[in-house]
Formats: sequence, structure tokens, C-alpha cells
Amino acid sequence: MADPSKGTKRSSVDGDAQDSKRLKTKGGDSNGKMAESNPYLAHLNEDNNNNQNGFDSPLDKLERHKTTSQQAAACEDSDLNPWTGNPHSQSYFKILKTRRDLPVSKQREEFLAMYHSTQILVFVGETGSGKTTQIPQYVLYDELPHLTGKLIACTQPRRVAAMSVAQRVANELDVQLGEEVGYSIRFENRTGPKTLLKYMTDGQLLREAMHDPDMTRYSCIILDEAHERTLATDILMALLKEIAQRRSDLKIIVMSATLDAQKFQTYFSLKKEDPPAPLLAVPGRTHPVEIFYTPEPERDYVEAAVRTVLQIHAVEPEGDILLFLTGEEEIEDACRRISLEVDDMVRESDAGPMAIYPLYGTLPPHQQQKIFDKAPEPLRKGGRPGRKCIVATNIAETSLTIDGIVYVVDPGFSKQKIYNPRSRVESLLVSPISKASAQQRAGRAGRTRPGKCFRLYTEKAFKKELIEQTYPEILRSNLSNTILELKKLGIEDLVHFDFMDPPAPETMMRALEELNYLSCLDDDGGLTHLGSLASEFPLDPALAVMLISSPEFFCSNEILSITSLLSVPQIWIRPNNNRKRADEMKAQFAHPDGDHLTLLNAYHAYKGAEQSGEDTKRWCHEHFLSFRHLQSADNVRAQLKRIMETHDIELVSTPFQNKDYYTNIRRALVAGFFMQVAMRESSNSKVYKTVKDDQLVMIHPSTVVQSPYDWVVYNEFVLTTKQYVRTVTNIRPEWLLEIAPVYYDIDTFEKGEIKSALTRLTEKVKRRQAIKGGR
Amino acid sequence: MGLAGAKNKRRLGNDPNNTKWSRNTETFGQKLLRSQGWEPGQYLGAQGAAHAESYTEASTSHIRVTLKDDTLGLGAKRNNGDECTGLNAFQHLLGRLNGKSEDVLAAEEKKREDTKLSLYVERKLGRINFVRGGWLVGDTLKEEPKADAPDVKSESDDEEEESTEAAEPVETTATEEKKSSKKRKADDKDEEKAARKKEKKSKRRKTDPDEGDDAETDSEDPKDKKKDKKSKKRKTTESTDENADPTESSKSSKKSKKDKERQSAEESSEDVTDANSAEDAKKAKKEKKKEKKEKKEKRKKDKSPSDSGAEDKKEKKRRKKEKEASESTAASGVSTPTEGGSGYSTPTVTTNTRYLARSRFIAQKKMAFADTAALNQIFMIKS
Repeated sequence: MADPSKGTKRSSVDGDAQDSKRLKTKGGDSNGKMAESNPYLAHLNEDNNNNQNGFDSPLDKLERHKTTSQQAAACEDSDLNPWTGNPHSQSYFKILKTRRDLPVSKQREEFLAMYHSTQILVFVGETGSGKTTQIPQYVLYDELPHLTGKLIACTQPRRVAAMSVAQRVANELDVQLGEEVGYSIRFENRTGPKTLLKYMTDGQLLREAMHDPDMTRYSCIILDEAHERTLATDILMALLKEIAQRRSDLKIIVMSATLDAQKFQTYFSLKKEDPPAPLLAVPGRTHPVEIFYTPEPERDYVEAAVRTVLQIHAVEPEGDILLFLTGEEEIEDACRRISLEVDDMVRESDAGPMAIYPLYGTLPPHQQQKIFDKAPEPLRKGGRPGRKCIVATNIAETSLTIDGIVYVVDPGFSKQKIYNPRSRVESLLVSPISKASAQQRAGRAGRTRPGKCFRLYTEKAFKKELIEQTYPEILRSNLSNTILELKKLGIEDLVHFDFMDPPAPETMMRALEELNYLSCLDDDGGLTHLGSLASEFPLDPALAVMLISSPEFFCSNEILSITSLLSVPQIWIRPNNNRKRADEMKAQFAHPDGDHLTLLNAYHAYKGAEQSGEDTKRWCHEHFLSFRHLQSADNVRAQLKRIMETHDIELVSTPFQNKDYYTNIRRALVAGFFMQVAMRESSNSKVYKTVKDDQLVMIHPSTVVQSPYDWVVYNEFVLTTKQYVRTVTNIRPEWLLEIAPVYYDIDTFEKGEIKSALTRLTEKVKRRQAIKGGR
Repeated sequence: MGLAGAKNKRRLGNDPNNTKWSRNTETFGQKLLRSQGWEPGQYLGAQGAAHAESYTEASTSHIRVTLKDDTLGLGAKRNNGDECTGLNAFQHLLGRLNGKSEDVLAAEEKKREDTKLSLYVERKLGRINFVRGGWLVGDTLKEEPKADAPDVKSESDDEEEESTEAAEPVETTATEEKKSSKKRKADDKDEEKAARKKEKKSKRRKTDPDEGDDAETDSEDPKDKKKDKKSKKRKTTESTDENADPTESSKSSKKSKKDKERQSAEESSEDVTDANSAEDAKKAKKEKKKEKKEKKEKRKKDKSPSDSGAEDKKEKKRRKKEKEASESTAASGVSTPTEGGSGYSTPTVTTNTRYLARSRFIAQKKMAFADTAALNQIFMIKS
């Protein structure tokens, strides 16, 4: 899976710039010759030029960290844009007026006073208070980054949010996106030498920190949506807490949308005896929401949800509906059922029309955009008003703001990532939401006017069965990647690293162990060269290691393709009404040795179609492949290739005619995934046993592998009613002993089939060698 | 799981939780953590941190979840076939064993009979629909009677109400039918609701000496209610059994399901708990309720006991409906007897939804055949 929180490595040019700046700050030289060599100070010279040309910015009158809201307002009201010196566009003052109507605007003075008096500030504003767009601008007018050359960063958990908010703020400040205001996300950087305010994903800031441990480029860092507690935000908070002690000039604002702020406050008191970090709360523009529970539990929450939606449509006044379900399949099914029933309702009675939109992560963006369409018009003039119904996963819980929602239907479940360090399985499972998240969902109904939330569970269930807060991602994930990043950040003592919620010790142990087996950490816990290299890739360590070691097997081009294909969602499409045809098409690409190779074949066929000038979109459709995911795999491949090139990793291929072409690839797979190997239990069984963890698994039915092999390497462990391994490829056990001798040290195995099989194997190998030697 | 239940065979390994690994103290990870000063049983994280008290148990060990592969709602338990049904006939006996007074038991019995009767009539004859026509106060029609209306007036109201009901034109379109069922169900459920309200009240006022008697009888209410529900449940199961005709039964069951949900929504509106958002609305509601209750009690005292019962109830129901209609349409005055024999709020679905739509279509066709004007149109006969 592609992890959006991870970014590419920053180019080395940036690194140089940072170094020079650090020198500068140490020297205390405020506007010296360094400014010319530093691209981020380049605008200083320009400003001087501007002044000579007669542009008199109102900002010149301001004194850093001593501004007031009146002064800032005066600057905003000036005829010329204070940041560019150009006259304002027509819409500027119109936008300015709406900005000043935002709830947060009333507290600008209070905010500035607090901001001046403290280093770390916790800011709580409900959704709709305008905090994401306004606070960074308030800081901008106070920090005056064009004087210091230090930027303001605002992190977002999602790439889309970073992009759209940056665009919005650029409009509000009347500047070009990518100039004064920019954004930086994985695989895309739209900032320039003039950039003063930068929106970025939290993962991207973390990546930057690897090369700039003190975050010297920034004078203020704003962590937005901290209540979502993404993995990257959690690590950033701990890091910033440390940095704040070293750098007293760095200001930090932690913004949250929920009432949980107290936790942030205690966490950010730098020393134990210090008082908690100060808090500023801004009321949002929300309306009351009436909550309804069912008197009895529901037998079938999907059925109940569908009925509730229909009933709302039948009896409730105008207003859009938001229904929360867990996954793609469930959502599509519910949409189908609702639309069938609504059609009947419209045909047989005077019901208004209803537009139904699904919404989930893997939906193509243009279809996601549809949820912002207006509700349909009444069927005839004066008829009942139409409404729209959005059936969504929990992305609609916090990240998206859809106006017009008045009714929320909440069955109380969502798909959540869970990691079990003992069986090393990370899976997405349907589980009950938390109370906090139920309140968030209900709150969605009160954005435009008083709304209603229908909870498809009893009040008792709400009180007894739901946990208080959703567990942060750090407690639910495999941490091997995070630990690698922390090591790269120079954190030696992982035990006492100041997590807001420390992960379970077993999870940490497992991560360390995996990294050690992958040779990313040496036996003393230090980062190896391989580990350092692997951390440059925005990939899971196993994939990164496989990629880095692939030149040894003369197939880095192919492994690069496979890695990118494994980093995007499944490329195979299997529509319910056309399964047979889809399977036939997949069989065309099938390689008898396994799914990894089949993926590669499909990719090569896709590239072939592209080169021969075919309509690739149609080609994909005909072959039941996802055009979008293949495209993004192509994109990921290009990015990874660039990283490989910067680190001088050779791109080589075995000639296709060579009989070892596929064997080499399979061997290279083992180099990364030797910890994900399963052995068949007995010669006529379908059940496999995973190596060392001894979990009983079956091969997922989606596989192309026909004849049962004794040893397979797998990409994924899937947990449903049965335990499955998905995307498997046949390997030879000898390779395991040869490529990963440390992991396959027979003495470390428990007694069992696998141990005896491996023992037999070693003896066989020894004998063969002895025969060879004897000759 | 009974013998008829789906078999879910699953083989587990010898050590599905891999305790072998977690007990192993020789792993690299454990050795490294120990070398940095960690001891088994300790949290990771900064030592003596101020925020340590907010750590959850997920910081000690991984999060355990149960695998959910069905669509069972939150809080619902699978029926394992060990639940008792058919206790309806013994309600009287059981109630006595539980120490209920004869009056209460008789009232319950009557309630059960009432529901049974109304259900029977509904099934057999269908319902006639009425549209609300306001209140006749003196000589003028009003939307709602005045809060401080004297008793005489309220009596006349009731009479008026009945007469308007009778005078109302009969409508039998599909949409209207829904409304009627609402009304009927409101009738059925009203008692129960009133009881519940009383119960709440009584809790609030237990110290009030005037309400002493009230509180005493009310304290038994929860039990009563439960039984009531059970009995009703049974009745509905019976009814669905009887409704063998697919068109008929599916139609009614569908409708009742809808009503059901509406009702549930309404009911829960009474105990809204979202403290921060809906508080104001709640307060207002509560006040209104209180007011009504007081009024009712006053009237009760004034009126002769014989006629107060039925009329009072009706009156109350009316007002309640109005109040709810004005406040929220989710609570559009619907309440149904508890249906669904399995303790879930959605009743058992015997036909799939697609079939329901089809059956409605068939019913519509039938209706068209009965209507000569429509037939003429279909066959394009000009008359």
C-alpha cells in the first residue's frame, strides 16, 4: 500500500541551503552575505529592490512578535498587497470580508497576545471556525518571515487537504500558489524561493526532519488536525517537544478540533513542574443536533441503515443525508438498495427525487467530487424537494466538510487498522467506533442548521460498548517503518522516547526484531548503512530492502516494477456481474510460479499497449485492469527510480531469453520477504504454516497458483473468517538458507515439520556440496 | 448454536496467539529494550511524564478485537435458540408471582387484549384515515387549545374531536394509509408511553409526599413494560404467521417496519443525551412535558373518575402529537406496539426488499382493475 504520509527525499540542494542557514543563525548575522546564497532569503534582496522602486510595504512598520490585530488589519486593508506590492485583485476585499466574519477572527487579538507570551500553544476550534486557513495567516502577519527568512509550516494529515487549503489561502492572500504560499506533499512540491507559508503533510515534515533535525528552516510550526493522531503527527509532536527545548525561538501551535485538548496541554508542558501549555478555544459555527437511538439492538445494521434513510426521505423535511458504513462493498450494496427503493417510492407516491453518492478512499477523484453536487431539483414545480444521500466510510467523519447535511445515520462501525505483533498481522477489521467518533459523526448534521442523528444502536450500547477515544494510529500499526525513521532522526533511546501514547512493548520489539533481521539495525541497535538507505524510500522496510538488494540478483528493473505494483491498491478488477470474464482475462497474464510474476506480466503488457499507441484506458477496461491504479503505479515507479538513481542503485535486468529471468526475480523476492514464508503442512493438504510464527493459513482464492507448491513467499496476511495469505509466489527452500541464513538458523526453530524439513534440506545441500568437492 | 445453525469450522494451530514468541526473552527486540532500561510490565515512553495518566491499556499490550464477519448491529446478540418464547399465556401468573397487585395485572391484561383487538381489526378490515382539523374552542377553530383552558372546555373539545373525526372524508391513498397506521399505533402505544413518562417523573419526585401513591405503583412500571413488550412481540409473530398471503403480509410488514423505526426514533427523542448540542431543545421539551403532566393531573382530580380515563387519554395523545409535530417531524406522532419476535427493533424480513417493491406494484395493478375509469384509460375507451 502506498503510504501517503511518506514523502520523497528532499533534494540535496535544499540540504545545503539548510546548512548555510544554520551557520547564519549561529553567527547571529541577520542580513549578511548569507542571504544571497540562501534561496529562501532571495526575496530579501527583492524587497530591498522593491523599496528602492518606491514600493512601501505597510509591513515595514510592524515589529516582529509585537504586532496587534489592528496593525495586521490595516496591512490587510492597504491598497497594495503587502506581500507582493501589486494592487489587489477585485475579489480580494470580498474574500477579506467573509474572512472577518469567521468565528476565529473575533479572537485575533487574544490569539496574538497568547502567541507572544508562550512558546507552545494549544488551539481548539470546532470544524467551521476557520482555524486551518486563518491561524497560519495571523501568524504570517506576526512572524514576518520575509525579515527572518524562516518559514511557517502548517501540517495536514492528508495530501488533498494540504493542496486545497494552500490554494484557498493563496487566494485569500491574493498571491500565486507556489510563490508566497505553497504546499509540499509526497511526490509533489509546489514551493519556491519566495515561499513564506507552507502547507504540507505531516509525513512530509517528518521526512524533512530527517535531514534537518532542528527544523531550522522554520520559525513556527503549526500541527493541524492533531486530534486525528496520525502516526506522523504523533512522532512530530514528540520531536517538536524535544526541539522546543533546544530552540527557544521556535513557536509551536497544536490545533485540534475536539475537546480532548487537555491531553495536549499536559503533554506540552515542557518540564514536569511546568504548568500545562496554554489553551485558546474558539467556538465553531455549529447548530444543535438531536440524537436518536433505537430502543433495541439491530439485527442487521445495513438493512436498518437503508430503511432509516428511506424513512428520513419519506417523512423528514428538506436536508441531505449522510450514512456511515464500513467498506466499499457494503457501501455499493447499500447504494443499490436505496436507489431501487427510492425509485419505487417516486413512482408510487409523491416522494421527491434523491441522488445517492458513494464515498470511499479508493473511489476515483472525479466521482468523489460528485458529493459536492447540489441536491436534485423537485421533479415538478412545487413538488417535494429533492435531496442527496451520501453513503460514506469514516473519511466523511472529520476530513471532508459537506455542506447541507442535516441527517446523519450512524450504525456505529468502521473499518479500523489493527496490528497484532504476535502473529505479525496488520489487518483492516470492522469494529465498533469510539464515543468521540460517534459524537463527531453526529456533529456532521449540524453544519448548516439544526440536524438529527439516528444512531442504530441503543443508548445502553453507546454507554457500555463504545470506548471513549479512538486509539491513535501508533497503537494500531506495525512500527517497523516508524522505528527506522526514528533511528534515522537520531533517536537512540527508544524506550524513553516521549510518545503521547507509547506503543505496546511487544509491538516495538517486533519492529526492532524485523529491522534487525533485515539488517537495517545492527546487533547493538545502531542504524546500518542498509538501514539508512532503506529509510530514504517511502516504503515498508521489507520492500525497501528488497529493492536495494535487487541488483545482486540482476533484476532491479523488474523488482522496481513489482514494488510499485505492491504499493498501490489491487490492479485487478473483478466486477460482480462479470467475474468469469475477469478471471479469464487475468489468466492471460498468469505465470505458473505465482502472483508477483503475474503482476509483472500485467504491467509489462500494459506498458506494451502504451508503447504501441493503443488507447490504454480502453485496453485496461477490456482486460479488467484498473487504469487508475496502473497509472499511479507508474508514477510511484518513476519516483522510486529517481531515489534509486540518487543513491546509485543500479538498474539492471536479466535478458528475457535467459532461463533464469524469472528465477532471479523470485530469488530477489526472498531477499526482502524471507520473513513472510509459509510451508505446506503435508503433501495433500491445502493448509500452510507460516515460518516461525506457526500460523495456519490458506492461499487466498484470488491466486493464479494452480499446483500447490511446498514453499511460498507471500505479500499479505489477510484475516477474514479464515486466515489467508495473498499474492504468493513459489520459492525453493534452498534459497532461504542461502539468502537469509540468520533468520533460517535451524537452531532457533521450534521442533516441528518446518524444522525437520529444513534439517533435511541442509543435509541434502551438504551432501551435494560434498559430492561436488569430492570430484 | 442449535443444530440448525451454520457450522463454522475453523482449525486453530497449536499456538494461535504465538505466546511462544512473546514469552521468549531472547529475541533481539526484547534484549535491546532491556538494555535501554525497560522491564517487562512497564510502559514505554518518557519516565514520570505528566501525561502518563492518560495512557490506555493499548499501551501495555496490543489491541484485541473480535473478528466481525456478519452484519449484526451494535449491541445485538445472536439468538442462540435458548430464549424463551410463548410465555404470553402465563403473564398473569408470572405477574402474580412477582408480587404485582391484581389491578395492575388486570390493566396489563386489558392492554394486551386491546392490542390484539386493534391488530385484528387492522388486518381484517383495514383502517380509515382521518386528517387533523384543529380544536373547536367555543365557536372558533384553533390549532391548539389554550394551556389554561377550563375543564368544561376540554370536555367539549373531546366531543368535538370525535365529531370531526367522524365527519372527516375517508381517504385511502397509499400515503394516507401510512398516516392512519401511525395514528392507530399511537393509540396502542400511548399507554405504555404514559407509563414510562410517569416512571421518569416519579423518580424525579420521589420525595414529594403528594405523589407518594403514584410513585409506588409506578415503581413497578419497568417490569410491566417489559412484559407488555413481550406479549406484543408474540402477538406480532402470530400475526405474521397468519398473514400467509404474500402481497398482503409483505405490504403490512413493510409499513409496520417503517413505523417501527419512526417510533424508535421518537422514543429515543425523549431521552436525548447529547449534552452539548441538544441541551436547549431538551430543556424546552422537558418543561413542556412537565406542564402537560401537571395539567393532566389537575384535570383528573376535577373530573369524575368514570369518564376521565378514556377521554383523558385521547386528549393527551392529541396534544402530544401536536407538540411533537411542531417540534420535530421525526417524532411525527408515530408509535407502534413493539414488533419483531426476536428482541430486535427491525422485524424479521421474510421477503427481500425487491420483492416488496414488486408486490406493491401488483397491488397497484389490482387497484387499477377495480377502477373503471382507470380501465377505460388503459383500454383507451372514450366515454
